[in-house]
Amino acid sequence: MKYLQYQWKTRLVVVLLISIGVSILLMGLDVTPWAQQINLRGYSHGADEGEGPNIPSFLLYVLPFVKELILIGIPLLLTLLWLKLTQVIGRAR
Amino acid sequence: MSDWTQNLQKTRYVMDTLLLISFMMVSAPQTTGVPLHEWLSLLFVVPFAIHLLLHWDWIKQSLRRFSAKISAKERFSLVWNYLLYVVMLLATVSGFLVSVALLPAMSISFEIQDFWSKIHHDSATLIMPMLGIHLALHWSWIVNLTKRMGKRAPAQ
Ligand code: HEM
Ligand code: HEM
Repeated sequence: MKYLQYQWKTRLVVVLLISIGVSILLMGLDVTPWAQQINLRGYSHGADEGEGPNIPSFLLYVLPFVKELILIGIPLLLTLLWLKLTQVIGRAR
Repeated sequence: MSDWTQNLQKTRYVMDTLLLISFMMVSAPQTTGVPLHEWLSLLFVVPFAIHLLLHWDWIKQSLRRFSAKISAKERFSLVWNYLLYVVMLLATVSGFLVSVALLPAMSISFEIQDFWSKIHHDSATLIMPMLGIHLALHWSWIVNLTKRMGKRAPAQ
């Protein structure tokens, strides 16, 4: 833990202060026309209470992780492929 | 396992693993239920802050490196980390603004805007592919450290 403990208090305060500052700026998005437009149009997603999809219930617990693995994994693989390709092309030149 | 606390890279490896696991838990509110999701997200600040503290030197140098001569991959990674930071904050902030359990439990209540619901959903979903690319950019490090974790390495 020695690397984590090194000057951790000052550093944590700096990280938190900057993050809170940026967060307050982000909250300002509230008053943009973009936000007002979305509020006017309304937003809803998913089924209403009690109207779950007709699938085995254990899947409801597993599917969110499948979604994560796909949404993280495919961009990961594509990036690796891209890095490999640019490497090969760079070497051939 | 060798003593990972004595080695910076191994400390990062252990903490990054914890970060990934907690991120995946936080990103599955349908599994955990929304109230638990909110409390877990609050806890998630810890591994996230640790991730930043363990790259303090990188962060400190990063602003200067914008104008330095670095490879295209490094420059992309630089910009990407900053974007990831902003989107992560956006997900956290919008999460608080759509809270139905955590803030009410602290007697803070306000009307939830559709805008923030949409932002929370969109930003949380956007982080996943962004994280995939973040991990790919450090892939050789990940492979290397996975091999080294079991071995005793000289302290550094
Ligand atoms: C949420 C899950 C995340 C995971 C699993 C993760 C994982 C990793 C890994 C494996 C590395 C390379 C190994 C290391 O040096 O520790 C790394 C580096 C880094 N990450 Fe993350 N990361 C995550 C989120 C973030 C976010 C949101 C940011 C933005 C603030 C960020 C900023 C950085 C930085 C600045 C580095 C060092 C960059 C470099 O050396 O080029 N990470 N991360
Ligand atoms: C890194 C931080 C966070 C991530 C990655 C994240 C991720 C998610 C995801 C993926 C969903 C499902 C959204 C959907 O399918 O529409 C969700 C829903 C939700 N989150 Fe978060 N969240 C985070 C932080 C927070 C925080 C801090 C709170 C409150 C204190 C919060 C409150 C909620 C609520 C109330 C919902 C349900 C509302 C809805 O489905 O639109 N989240 N979150």
